[in-house]
Amino acid sequence: MMALFIRAITAALIAIFVIGCTSTPQQSLYEEIGGHQTLNTIYGVAITRIYTDPVIGHYFKGVPKKHLRDRLVTQTCELIGGPCEYDGKSMVESHTGLGIKEREFYILVEYVQGAMRDVGLTYQQENRILNKLAPIKYETIYL
Amino acid sequence: MKKIFLFSLLLISSHVFADSGSRLIASGGITGFEGTAGGGITPWAFIGGYTSKEEISYSANVQYLSLNDYTLKTAGLGISLFDRVELSFQRQRLDISSGLTSNVFALLTDGAITNANSATIEQDIIGAKVKIFGDGVFTQNDWLPQLAIGAQYKKNRDFDSSLSLPDGSVPLPGIGVPLLLGAKNDSGTDIYLSATKLWLGYPSGYNLLANLTARYTRANVFGLLGFGSEGDDSAKLEWEGSLAVLISPTTAIGTEFRTQTNRLGGLAEEDTVVDAFIAYFPNKSISITAAYVDLGNLPLQEGSSGFYLTVSGNF
Repeated sequence: MMALFIRAITAALIAIFVIGCTSTPQQSLYEEIGGHQTLNTIYGVAITRIYTDPVIGHYFKGVPKKHLRDRLVTQTCELIGGPCEYDGKSMVESHTGLGIKEREFYILVEYVQGAMRDVGLTYQQENRILNKLAPIKYETIYL
Repeated sequence: MKKIFLFSLLLISSHVFADSGSRLIASGGITGFEGTAGGGITPWAFIGGYTSKEEISYSANVQYLSLNDYTLKTAGLGISLFDRVELSFQRQRLDISSGLTSNVFALLTDGAITNANSATIEQDIIGAKVKIFGDGVFTQNDWLPQLAIGAQYKKNRDFDSSLSLPDGSVPLPGIGVPLLLGAKNDSGTDIYLSATKLWLGYPSGYNLLANLTARYTRANVFGLLGFGSEGDDSAKLEWEGSLAVLISPTTAIGTEFRTQTNRLGGLAEEDTVVDAFIAYFPNKSISITAAYVDLGNLPLQEGSSGFYLTVSGNF
């Protein structure tokens, strides 16, 4: 029973590493998740929730949803290997002076995470996208 | 005294956000058997719970490790402050079966005494951890881990609690199990440095966590068998590590190791501890972890391994 438990966990760890080392993705993450249309849906869902959030909603007063959505889609598209070039204001520029707290950043991350799940992305796709978005944290908080 | 300190912290903190916190789920690890957040047997550089820079959270845990003739039960409380500081209090209770204590007497008396009562060794651990550098979750664009230093002050409460026989007599007054096995002190402080990093999306889209901890310690079997020995009272550097993969948003599997000094030798020879675990985080308020732990030798029980179960709550 115990030996089985140890063996099962070891086998699972090895399997994950082996799959990780052998699979060579033929297409970009952007193409894999369904490109512009999927990103657009994800951010559409997330933004609706973000704008009505009692803690962080106020930051977006006066920001047209469509404008923010297009920017987030373009930026993420570029980060995950899509054929886009983000030419809007830099993240640091657009967040300076807002004094966004770490807690507020995490709330936003969870909306984006939730939207990715609701739209049907796999857990693995979600993590790979988060990997690219994560460093943005320090371009947005306490500025 | 220390408990009063913890409770007064609870009171003064009521004006900041105090729920389970806003950080990503599972990023606080679990509460280890010494009360410090991380894996089951080793601290991580991550602060327990899910606090951001603006939040405070509290934790409580109960743990059970079954090792045949030994059983370790522990429980404790902790507080996490602003994703920077973690304070904890843990009480450990090691029950030793009467079969084992009887064997101890049989050995000591060349078989003249063959029947003794079961015994208990309790230890209190007061822990403090401070994050000193880095963000092990969100700085995915470089390789730098998060670093934290910490201390665990440990006080063995049964260093000199005598073993008793069924008739109530105490053949070795004032000599508890740690003293009997050659330990010198009833208390000690472990100092550790932990480096922890989470890779989002690796391998295969899962999240990988790696931790390495260096611990400077005088403890014998974590302090349950006291601290130092007559011949060797200096602190030694020991190594601990964890490797874990989040296989779903709510489930982590992994393995850990922890070296020990083996200062006492003989009956109390110490081996490297290893475990394999599965941790379930249904939400940010609770985690349940099952593990198989192998401690190697414990006094009079050469192969000491068994199941470990722990439940931690954050609020």
